Amino acid sequence: MAIEQPALRVDAPPRTRWQGILLALPVTLLMTVLLVVPLLIIGVNSFAQRGPDNAIIYNFSLNNYLRLLGIAEPGTWDTLYIEILIRSLWLALQSTILVILVGYPLAYFIARAPRRQRNFWLFLVLVPLWTNFVIRVYAWIMILRNQGVLNSLLGWFAGLFGLPFTPLDLYPSDLAVLICMVYEFLPFMILPMFTSLEKIDDSLYEAAADLGANAWHTFWRVTFPLSLPGIVAGTILVFIPVMGTFIVSDILGGRQVILVGNLIQRQFLDARDPVFGSAATIVLMVLTLAVTLYYTRKFGFAEEAFGR
Amino acid sequence: MKNRFKPLATGLLAAAVAVAACAPAGAPAPNADDAGEAQIVASSGFVCPAADPKVEVTSTELNLFVWTEYIPQDMLECFEKVYGVTVNREEFSSNEELGAKLDAGGAVYDLVQPTDYYVPVLIRKGQLQKLDKSRLSILEGLDPNYMDLSFDPGNEYTLPYQAGTDAIIVNTAAVANVPTSWADLWKPEYVDAGRMVFLDDSRVTIGLTLLTLGYDVNTTDEAQLEEAKNRLLELVPGIKLWDSDSPKSALIAGDVDLGMTWTGEAFLAQREVPEIEYVYPSEGALFWQDNYAIPVDAPHVDAAYAWLNYTYQGDVFWLMLRDFPYTNPNKAALDYAATAEFEVLDIDGNPSTPKAIYEAYMGSPITNVPQDAFANAVRIEDVGDATALYDRIWTEIKGGE
Repeated sequence: MAIEQPALRVDAPPRTRWQGILLALPVTLLMTVLLVVPLLIIGVNSFAQRGPDNAIIYNFSLNNYLRLLGIAEPGTWDTLYIEILIRSLWLALQSTILVILVGYPLAYFIARAPRRQRNFWLFLVLVPLWTNFVIRVYAWIMILRNQGVLNSLLGWFAGLFGLPFTPLDLYPSDLAVLICMVYEFLPFMILPMFTSLEKIDDSLYEAAADLGANAWHTFWRVTFPLSLPGIVAGTILVFIPVMGTFIVSDILGGRQVILVGNLIQRQFLDARDPVFGSAATIVLMVLTLAVTLYYTRKFGFAEEAFGR
Repeated sequence: MKNRFKPLATGLLAAAVAVAACAPAGAPAPNADDAGEAQIVASSGFVCPAADPKVEVTSTELNLFVWTEYIPQDMLECFEKVYGVTVNREEFSSNEELGAKLDAGGAVYDLVQPTDYYVPVLIRKGQLQKLDKSRLSILEGLDPNYMDLSFDPGNEYTLPYQAGTDAIIVNTAAVANVPTSWADLWKPEYVDAGRMVFLDDSRVTIGLTLLTLGYDVNTTDEAQLEEAKNRLLELVPGIKLWDSDSPKSALIAGDVDLGMTWTGEAFLAQREVPEIEYVYPSEGALFWQDNYAIPVDAPHVDAAYAWLNYTYQGDVFWLMLRDFPYTNPNKAALDYAATAEFEVLDIDGNPSTPKAIYEAYMGSPITNVPQDAFANAVRIEDVGDATALYDRIWTEIKGGE
């Protein structure tokens, strides 16, 4: 490690460092201009004050944060915004767990499929991503609505057996939002899971069998622990966007389901209160970061699942 | 939010229109005498009227920022072809959204469409430029009833585009007792059923609630607004869908049974499902008027004037009767349609004539508002600093579940 290797130094000219900096420059600039600067502006605005005709007055206070916590007026506790945060967390949690439950068997199936078939199955998982996110969300309206695809099919089946049928009231609803979240983010769970599962050496299964483990034991003591990095990576890829998204709840929730993403979006457009929206943005980021950090500390960061 | 994705939907629509245009569309020339000149035809087959007068335009682009579903495709294409200007359309679904985008700056838009109550806000903030009347050749065609109103005395900044009402809409096939007042919507039979659609619009929704309490629709009294908030919260469980883009879709599809909506949506919904009725509530419908205005930093002012002059011509603006049946403040358009008998496709793609479309417009109490409903209607006005109060209450109403 510490041994000097003068020969290498000759091979790597001193300009390597500059090459490295130059190569990193475009991304660094892009991130600075499009991420760091806007974040700083949002951070500063979150302490500012809303003026008449929704101008921003740079009169700094904690008022926006106090309003979020519901303690802006002394002696009262308005839990509205805390409820919105908890609702968003709960939905993100539900979605993530459902995505894992639905995605795991599929990822397992693909990983254990003959090598030549795997690409085909992965291709099928990715095909929906060719269509725009929002269009896919709108498509769920067609499926779930009162006279939609699902109700027509169910009605037809019920008719076959002469059963009475009342169309399910699925759109707009909380359930529609959850269904669509699971659908939208499934590929982001399947891919890292697949990467982990695929890497499991067949000889490990043979060894497990040799040592007398049944299928159940093999799964819990070999497959599952080794696929954990994939689950952890997938969870991060699913949980964070679900926490912040507002499109799905806007479209399928009938603008009735208000998540923190909707709250923020509304402050910048409909409610014209960008300073409050900025405070909510900061709180959402801190909250998401905290949950993610806790989670990765607990389960280990799954760098290998990202395809090393 | 919606409008960010609207270009996609619009693109799909345009594709659909293009496909539909392949069908043998029967739209002969309204003026067959200039057969010598090459006719300018929109993709639907509609023959574009000539610009009269054709003004000088050096810009090659025009950026419209308009309400969703508010510009006939033929109108847009004809302007593009007649003037050789590319029209970029961005859409918003609330005045508040329009305001937020203008606040963001950037000198992007050439024409915007604020509703009456929002005009004073934009003027106060110096976001609109005064209209140069000498550059407008279509002023005489406009109905004086829609001009010189309190929100813009003397029409220094705005031209009326479309007017209409917000009132109760109900599918009588699904609802036994038809509500006759805003207050009726609070009845347990509707709230418990939870099948109402409402506009996702703070001033309108809070406004009609104030009416049921006997208060002024433009109140700035905090106690009254607090009371309205609590009353509206009682209604919220009955509301299944908040939609300011296309509330008719859910009504037609049977996802919701009643609620409130505006003129054009009601007219089109009724066309689709005849059982759908539009009821002017006893407390008074809300009467509104959308207007064109030019932002102070508009980059293509010449194209904006060309657009106003061309699209307000009677032989162009009548397309609004066909595609977006609202109360039409352009007398020139009504006069033109009243006598024009060439064949065009109506909004459902069936052969019709401007005259037949005009007669349907005049015959419908939705578009041709009855005198008593008109007299009874109330207008939403700018409330100045109290806007923040409305916005806050709105967030609190929409945040709960």
